[in-house]
Amino acid sequence: MKPKALQNCGKCGLCLSVCPVYKISNQEEASPRARLQLIKYYKNENLLSSSGLKEIISKCLMCGSCKAICPSGIDHYSQFMEMRAQMRKDHGEKSAIKSLTYLLAKESRIRLAAGAAKIGQKIIPQNFIQKYNLGNIPLKRFPRLNKKPFRQAVPEIIQPDRNKKGTLLYFTGCATNHIFDKTGFSTINILKQMGYTVIIPKKQTCCGIPMLFHGAGKQAEKNVLTNIKCLDKEDIKAIIVDCPTCGTALKDEYPALMQRLDKDVDAAKRISSKVIDIMSFIIQESDLKNFSNSIDKIKVTYHLPCHLKNSRKTSNNTEKILDKLDWIEYERAIDVDECCGGGGTFFYEYPEISKKMMDKKIKNAKNTGSSIWLTDCPVCRINLSGNLKRKDKITVRHPVEIINNVLFNT
Amino acid sequence: MLNLKIRNPLLKIVGKERLLEKPEELACYSYDAYFEEAMPDMVLFPVTTQEVSAILKICSTHKIPVTARGAGTSVCGASIPARHGVVLCFSKMNQILETNTKDRYIIVQPGVVNIDIQKALEPFKFFYPPDPGSMNVSTIGGNVAQNAGGPRCLKYGVTADYILGMQVVLASGKIVEFGSRNVKDVTGYRLSGLFCGSEGTLGMVTKIILRVVPLPETIKTILVTFDNLDDTAKSVSDIIGSGILPVALELLDKTTINAIEDSANLGLPVEAEGSLLIEIDGVKEACEKEIQKIIEKVETNGATSIQEAKSDEERDKLWEARRTAFGVFAKLAPDIFSEDVTVPASKVPEMIRKTVEITKEYGLKVGILAHAGDGNMHPMIPADKNNKEEWEKVEKAFVEIVKAAVDLNGTLSGEHGIGLAKTQFLPLVMSQDSIEFMSVIKAAVDPDGILNPGKFV
Repeated sequence: MKPKALQNCGKCGLCLSVCPVYKISNQEEASPRARLQLIKYYKNENLLSSSGLKEIISKCLMCGSCKAICPSGIDHYSQFMEMRAQMRKDHGEKSAIKSLTYLLAKESRIRLAAGAAKIGQKIIPQNFIQKYNLGNIPLKRFPRLNKKPFRQAVPEIIQPDRNKKGTLLYFTGCATNHIFDKTGFSTINILKQMGYTVIIPKKQTCCGIPMLFHGAGKQAEKNVLTNIKCLDKEDIKAIIVDCPTCGTALKDEYPALMQRLDKDVDAAKRISSKVIDIMSFIIQESDLKNFSNSIDKIKVTYHLPCHLKNSRKTSNNTEKILDKLDWIEYERAIDVDECCGGGGTFFYEYPEISKKMMDKKIKNAKNTGSSIWLTDCPVCRINLSGNLKRKDKITVRHPVEIINNVLFNT
Repeated sequence: MLNLKIRNPLLKIVGKERLLEKPEELACYSYDAYFEEAMPDMVLFPVTTQEVSAILKICSTHKIPVTARGAGTSVCGASIPARHGVVLCFSKMNQILETNTKDRYIIVQPGVVNIDIQKALEPFKFFYPPDPGSMNVSTIGGNVAQNAGGPRCLKYGVTADYILGMQVVLASGKIVEFGSRNVKDVTGYRLSGLFCGSEGTLGMVTKIILRVVPLPETIKTILVTFDNLDDTAKSVSDIIGSGILPVALELLDKTTINAIEDSANLGLPVEAEGSLLIEIDGVKEACEKEIQKIIEKVETNGATSIQEAKSDEERDKLWEARRTAFGVFAKLAPDIFSEDVTVPASKVPEMIRKTVEITKEYGLKVGILAHAGDGNMHPMIPADKNNKEEWEKVEKAFVEIVKAAVDLNGTLSGEHGIGLAKTQFLPLVMSQDSIEFMSVIKAAVDPDGILNPGKFV
């Protein structure tokens, strides 16, 4: 087989300049260019499959920075996902990752696992929690799970109090549903205030990215089909996401996947065209006049998640809002758009690399003198806040939470 | 794999964290931005001069080929281990040792990335002028080995013009130093000029003292379009001939502009047959005067539009477009044949005409891109190496392009280097005696021929 697409990598090396893993290791095999070459050698049978090869292919954050900068227009995601699936087939998967992809493939399993984990969080002895780490994050710094899954805690349809502007679908993602319900409540509150009817389709499930990225494409298929079915609705203005990675999935990966599966690409494209992250929606639909307040300014800093930066070309909408809000003093960290090393499960699989990235981020965030660190992505959030120490006195929040707290929840 | 008698002492020098020998790891060091490939037997990441010296001692005892590598962005295959052996990768030897803008120098290790030098100098309002297209990723060691150029070298000069001093480890493992922190220094041979551009065939540069210069007060950038390539080229020789010295004078033809626009969507003039990206810098008043002069020249030559970058953002966009040109051509075909012949500025129009004629004759597609102000041509031919018939045509066209350049008092390579790409064409521009003289120097410094063997000398 001649991998035509791979031949088009000009090997110019531009991707090395943006790859977060390469920047830490300074070794070619950590780079996107190397992974593409290895895939080529493997397909041309110049290189045998090995656990070492799997390791190189896996040691990637799937942040998409290479795809965004590639002048040759290579779709790194597809190449990497396909190869990851092959490597998973050849060499199996770490049991923790296998369990994760198994769990996320079915909503009932996710609920069950979240329930068990919640009990787990209660019954794990305190001294164990104090002592142990998952990846480089101490267990004690993991967020507590929601008391009740968010989607069960709110009605399926939420009407605004006044001036109805239209109907939105809200895709909440697993993180809001099970970990960060405040993000969900805040999002609904803001959209209500803006005058929208919000529908949270009950049937929605995990977007499937964790499976796709771990090479478990088969398991992801069902999720994708389920979500497409419940999101492909007429007469809705937009599909709101609060998680940039879910956004990447719905916007970019669903159409690509449906194309590969030879299924309803049009439905995926209809959905893709309506997907927008909550912060971009706010700035697109509002001049922010209703978002002003005369309280003393709150100093905040921000971390731009890779999947916002690379996948949707809407990169800086959150920063734009922070700059405009009269009650926020936004202190930009010099490395605001550098990857934090979270990368789904990357922080767990490669803690040494992740930690080096994180240490830099924390240092620069502290230099801003802010006590609030905003970020849109739940994995970034777990990673940032998990690596902070109590004495750092910095809390990490989704931007909608601070907006809701200050403006609508008082 | 290397004989254990050789492997184990090498392992002892760098430790297992900085030694690679598994096939899937080695494969990642078998290529650079050129299209040939060759597998190394081992990759080592030294971080000190002493380590480099110790490694070379062992390699010269056992006559193991050693090929230096930085970020692997050479477009002539200079960092491909053509005769296998050891790849010495300097990417982890990347400390900036001293920044001294009062005395106008910076001392760096070879693995420092060009852009990081710029970032270190920026707070002091200084910069390091050579700006190869790969500057965001390529290392200064590689820049020195290849005597890298870049757009703004038109005004500021190339890498070799900025080396005040260096430390080099010879094939034997001996460590030598020459030059100093002084711009004026005639103490002994000016050996930096010998090692700079030697493509890793004479020694391993382990420390470099670079001259740095103040950032200009004002920068002005304009994009000018023409409805034929001849007028575009003629404007170049007119501007250069008039006594103005722009920082950069880049020429892009329609094919190139369209390839970039398809990839980046920057709103570039896709209809124009030829475009010039012109930048000048200096004191504000002088810039204004010079830009007027330039505008007069291009208007005389029938410019169809003149657009000035109004903000840093707009300027960055134009340059970003120029920088991605090499990569976007990769979209057009599986391989790109990127040329680098250079001619005196007054010959640019003729060289472009010839290039178009030659490629047309062979039925090849060509994109004309050039650091036109210094005559450094980068015609790019998208083709498929696996298509034998087509590739033969590409090679034939290439020989004719080189010959045409030589006829116009030009040279084989302006900034890409010879490496694997152009060794066979050296006789076109150098006499047998001159080539032999290079071999004499090589034999004196590296008698066993272990440094980057298989390349031009």
